[in-house]
Amino acid sequence: MAFLHELVRDCLQDEKAFCTVKCPFNLDVRDFIGKLQQGRYNAAYKTYQNTVGFPGIVSVLCPEPCRDVCALKEKGGSVSMRLLEAASMNFARNREPDQYNMPPKSARIAVIGAGPAGMACALRLTTRKYKVTLFEKSGLIGGHLNDLPDADILIDDIRLQFKYETLDLRLNSRVTDISVPGFDAIYVATGMHGDTFGLSLTTEGHYSTDRNGVFMGGSVTGADVMQAIAQGLNAASVIEGFLKTGRMDHFEPPATETKLTYSAIKIIPSGAIRPESGKEYSREEARAEANRCLKCTCDACVRYSPLLSYFRKFPKKITEEVEVSINPSSLDGEATLATRLISTCNYCGLCREVCPKEIDTGEFLLRSHYTMREKGKMPWAFHEFFLRDMEFSTGEASLLLQPSEQGEVKYLFFPGCQIGASDPRLVIRSYDFLLKNYPSTALLLGCCGAPADWAGNAPAHKEVLNKIRSAWNDLGNPTIVFACATCNLMFRKHLPEMKGIFIYDLIARSDAIPAIPSIHGNKTASVFDPCAARYEDGLQETIRSIATGAGFRLEPLPMEGRLAECCSYGGQVSVAHPPYAEYTVKKVISRNTNPYITYCSNCRDTFARAGKETMHILDVVFGLEQRPQPTVSERRENRLRLKAVLLKEYGNDNFNMEMKESKLTMSSGLREKLDTSMILESDILTLIETCEQSGNKILDPENGSFIGHLQIGNMTFWAEYRVVDDGRYELINCYSHRMKIEE
Amino acid sequence: MEEKKKLICFKCNKELVPKKTDFSYLGHTFFTEIPKCPQCGLVYLSEEIVKGRISEVEMQLEDK
Repeated sequence: MAFLHELVRDCLQDEKAFCTVKCPFNLDVRDFIGKLQQGRYNAAYKTYQNTVGFPGIVSVLCPEPCRDVCALKEKGGSVSMRLLEAASMNFARNREPDQYNMPPKSARIAVIGAGPAGMACALRLTTRKYKVTLFEKSGLIGGHLNDLPDADILIDDIRLQFKYETLDLRLNSRVTDISVPGFDAIYVATGMHGDTFGLSLTTEGHYSTDRNGVFMGGSVTGADVMQAIAQGLNAASVIEGFLKTGRMDHFEPPATETKLTYSAIKIIPSGAIRPESGKEYSREEARAEANRCLKCTCDACVRYSPLLSYFRKFPKKITEEVEVSINPSSLDGEATLATRLISTCNYCGLCREVCPKEIDTGEFLLRSHYTMREKGKMPWAFHEFFLRDMEFSTGEASLLLQPSEQGEVKYLFFPGCQIGASDPRLVIRSYDFLLKNYPSTALLLGCCGAPADWAGNAPAHKEVLNKIRSAWNDLGNPTIVFACATCNLMFRKHLPEMKGIFIYDLIARSDAIPAIPSIHGNKTASVFDPCAARYEDGLQETIRSIATGAGFRLEPLPMEGRLAECCSYGGQVSVAHPPYAEYTVKKVISRNTNPYITYCSNCRDTFARAGKETMHILDVVFGLEQRPQPTVSERRENRLRLKAVLLKEYGNDNFNMEMKESKLTMSSGLREKLDTSMILESDILTLIETCEQSGNKILDPENGSFIGHLQIGNMTFWAEYRVVDDGRYELINCYSHRMKIEE
Repeated sequence: MEEKKKLICFKCNKELVPKKTDFSYLGHTFFTEIPKCPQCGLVYLSEEIVKGRISEVEMQLEDK
């Protein structure tokens, strides 16, 4: 999948921090600081020591170029790296270098000059057990460090780092000709104004000269002291590469740039910690300063996206797992490890919105979902309930009403399948409003196909879209009036030829609707933008103006507008991954304590179920009181009731649809269990009636009840019941499973 | 623990007895002993076993 590689290529997860690329040593500040934050001074010191070679010199002399690029520079002050480096040394248990028990290597290297660059190169090479001969024209090691104040301390650090290494140090040995035989490589680090032996640097490799096997770096090539040490350390790696491959450019140079951007970082301002002693941090001060560090990394997706934060996985990891599920590498070719991960996405689009590179992990997962379904690798159970519901909405509960007025049909009201399921009155009153103001409005009860799209079910999706397209064509291509942001999104994506508007805009601009009842007298609430309305700026404003007009005082949510979150319904994750759905809904209803006003009936019902006071904007418009969320069975009954009322009111025929009285009785607790288990009462009635007709039932002689089961679709349902009288049944218990009994 | 409940097949008037029964899910098949009518083969699965072992195996197969 080309898309997969694009996704990983653009991701900034592995980009280095700003400070790291500015550091001559490329110190992994995130790692170093992370250890300090945990109080692991010894581990932090080891990281520092291994990176800079001479920690006692660098921590004193480094001019801290990292401070210039620190994300906190203007937000309380850059992190004091040098003081933290010193703290790691002061509080480390053991400052001695490590002793590496490795066999000596036979290659011999000559280093010319015992200044910072030469010493650094010699240190790294001797640590790797090369035979190094260091020629120094003077009688001192350290070069120009000897001219600095506290030179003894600096030189002592050089001695300390060489404590366990063998170095053939030849002081007072001026080299006049580098054609000395017996060396496999030579590093020239003769210091400022030092002898270059007629060599010049080439552009082919770092520190490589025009003479094979001879390298040059440090102050003789214009480096300052920090660069000189860093170059010496790097030169050791270049030389090692040369010794192994014969190539002088065998080296990955340190990064000097990062693609990371400040906008990708969550910047939490904090005041810099000043050492009370004036010079050095105490342990507590060091920890506090380390804790200020943001460890800059691009993790916006993991911070914001519910899926990525729940799994703590970056897009790169996700793509890897999905890839091995689509193209399994297991011996039987059957392993599909990421099916649940793929099915857990709400397709809310937040990951793309917060990503500086606009990486759309959600779209990737959706495409993967389609692929997995095509391969027959997606468990049917994740989506069957919703696909059956879609079948119901587009079948038994569907309805097309033509306006009574003759002539052109201007509008087609498409309320979607869920608003009527939530409460039929919302659709009935909306259609009343439309007909009063726009008499040439038709109505289509159906479904936009979102359940099929989310299930990756291309054939079912196509069928639904064709139905809508055909009705729209028959009506003469009217403008669609949406009430559901998801329907609007689905139409834009899959039926772009059908232009639409939102009923809320018509409501807001209509003076014929004095009906917005201001019963909410200055009540405080927050508008919860549905994720499908993320890019509907105008709609977001309209909803707020309606709510304000109805008397609400609105307080913003931290995540709204472009940062809208999914209520947990999207992608039908409640079956594929119930704990994730719970995690998501809990998170979003806790954004503040205000009641929410939303304009998606799934958000409304999901929140109401979770105990959060939430109104649909149409509840506000039509002055409906708080209502409980309907059960899964009531959602179906509501749609049938809606169809019956609309047919009676506006249908051309003398339609009279009797709502059947329920033949099932059960306790309220059991009704709730059916609801949470997503078991339809109508399915249970079918089960019981089938058992009663066939006699295929089990008698429990202890209490006289019957037990029966029936597979409906792929799911098998079980019911324990008693026959009351005249085709009525008392349901005692009910449960279901996905596994098929091979009877 | 599966309860030792006495259950009668309504049609055959026979007591259900543990018998090997095949199951399938997502292309995998397996068998276990569950109460079954010795005459017509009508089976019984208690809620306990459905919510327990069956649900566990379903999850494992979905994540396999």
